[in-house]
Amino acid sequence: MTQLAERSSSRHPDAAIPLRSKRRNVRPRSDRTAAWVYISIIVSIAIFGVPFLYVLLVALSTPAQLSDGAFALFNLSNLQWSNFYLAFTRIDFIGFARTTLLLSLIFSVLTTASSSLAGFAFARLRAPGQRLLFNIVVATMMIPAIAMLIPTYVIFARLGLVGTYWPWVLWGLAGTPYLIFLFRQFFSTIPLELEEAAIIDGAGWFRIYLQIFLPLARPALLTSFLLSFTWTWGDYLAPALLLNADNTTLSVATAAGYLNPQGTGIVELQAAGAVMFLLPVVVLFLFTQKYFIGSAVGSGVKG
Amino acid sequence: MTSSALTPAAAAGVTTRGRGWRRYPARTFYTFVSPWILGFLLLTLVPIGFALVVSFTNYDGASSFWRFVGFRNYVELFTSSPSAWQSLLRTLAYTIIVVPLSVAGGLFLAVLVNRRLRARGVVRAIFFIPSVIPIVATAIMWRLIFNRDAGLLNGVLSVFGVRETIWLADPYAFYALIVVTLWGLGGGMVISLAALQDVPTELEEAARLDGASTWQVMRAVVIPMISPVLYFQMITGIIASLQVVVQPLLLAQTRTVASSQEVPTSSTLYMVEVYNEFFFESRFGFGSAMLWVFFIAILAITLILQWLSRRFVFYQVDSDQK
Repeated sequence: MTQLAERSSSRHPDAAIPLRSKRRNVRPRSDRTAAWVYISIIVSIAIFGVPFLYVLLVALSTPAQLSDGAFALFNLSNLQWSNFYLAFTRIDFIGFARTTLLLSLIFSVLTTASSSLAGFAFARLRAPGQRLLFNIVVATMMIPAIAMLIPTYVIFARLGLVGTYWPWVLWGLAGTPYLIFLFRQFFSTIPLELEEAAIIDGAGWFRIYLQIFLPLARPALLTSFLLSFTWTWGDYLAPALLLNADNTTLSVATAAGYLNPQGTGIVELQAAGAVMFLLPVVVLFLFTQKYFIGSAVGSGVKG
Repeated sequence: MTSSALTPAAAAGVTTRGRGWRRYPARTFYTFVSPWILGFLLLTLVPIGFALVVSFTNYDGASSFWRFVGFRNYVELFTSSPSAWQSLLRTLAYTIIVVPLSVAGGLFLAVLVNRRLRARGVVRAIFFIPSVIPIVATAIMWRLIFNRDAGLLNGVLSVFGVRETIWLADPYAFYALIVVTLWGLGGGMVISLAALQDVPTELEEAARLDGASTWQVMRAVVIPMISPVLYFQMITGIIASLQVVVQPLLLAQTRTVASSQEVPTSSTLYMVEVYNEFFFESRFGFGSAMLWVFFIAILAITLILQWLSRRFVFYQVDSDQK
């Protein structure tokens, strides 16, 4: 955020200071608006936060409380922390978590490498046909991915790749158009002097990319890694179609795993499982917020 | 961006200096982008082409006894497939409701968070987190809210004497789906927020000095200035909502993708219908035809929006933007 503030103020360096003091003089009129702003914010926080609180409440309640209706859950005298243990053991949580982690790492590392390489080429190298290729990158960002998954699945099934991690390896190697775009934007901003010096020293393009550009691109690399990691971590359709039920990701396992013998969901275990499943993402997000936000910013402004 | 004028010079520096393959920057370029090119050919073009071929067959996904049936799948889709058309209309209704509300809601939250607030980062995170957490977790959380017996919504409504409602069945499943989708509008908020912070303050201040109200400043200055960003959100939002399939499946608590027929009719969107044709009915030919109609519809909508944007979107001429 501070980064953004700096950017906008540096663009209008002479205007920033006097205007800010002027704003202070308009206070009386904005008092009423301020009240509305605070009311709106509190209401919005309630709306956006309630599902999180409620899932925690359900995860800590007994089956009896659940059948007594919503208000019985607010009796906090008998918190069922054991639900988390049950959710952990009812399905092979560790096993599914390992698969999820492995797939997310495979995809995010490969796609970050491949996308940064392509993004570097689009930003720093020149070749005939480059413009056309970049237009294809932008156009493929618009291709509906979920619709694409079905024919891809049919082909992968024919090739015998269902139940293996190969689809994620291949998708990773192919790079992600959105991330290629992100890297291209990032590499375009790096001053020219750096690579000129390297070229004079006789460094090859791959060394320039690896030793000069990648170390400078740490924020972009982190953004790309975090985004692709959370995509894969939370993805449901691809593992549901391409992996077997006993070796799938947490997405599929928590969605279908906590059932009683009658085949209906065990609500409190689903809630506990969901909490354990989303907690890593929330924690990761809280520590790395600015990278998530930075990527959203880049996509919107330049799109 | 800025590099386009400068980099050829650097590339030229190499052509005169380098030895071996380095003499050819074009070859270097193609080496660097080759993983993506291969991926694009094999993982995008091949599946699309495959779907096109399959759409002219009666392939069922398993048996080897299939043959070309010409345009029969398309004819069936356009003439005698009411459920597909109903799902398409439903999807359009869903998109028309969800996209403007998401963009407007995201902008509203962005305006709120753009002010000087205590704990602004925390507030922003609360609005943003729903859009980054796994979709399965989202679905489970909302299934709890909408749960018949233990659900918060029925609990609150019972205070007002409203009878227990099964929210995730017909006819309410459609509205439940919309609520769940709108919960994730924080992604748009972040984009709008960045755009708001790029609006030059002197423009707003000038309008204020001329006596414009908050709303007038918003309507006449801020929204036109950030319209490219709102337009971008609309396009990506439309493409995303037209292909929604996971939320209806998970809200209906289907156990596998193949049980898509368990999804209530009112939340059976077009792509749910497609999944149904593929994985429940095993009609790969017909399903592929549905996919291709969908691809063409997306393309047409994107082109129409592109054309409209030339009239309504204000593109700022800026030194560092194309």
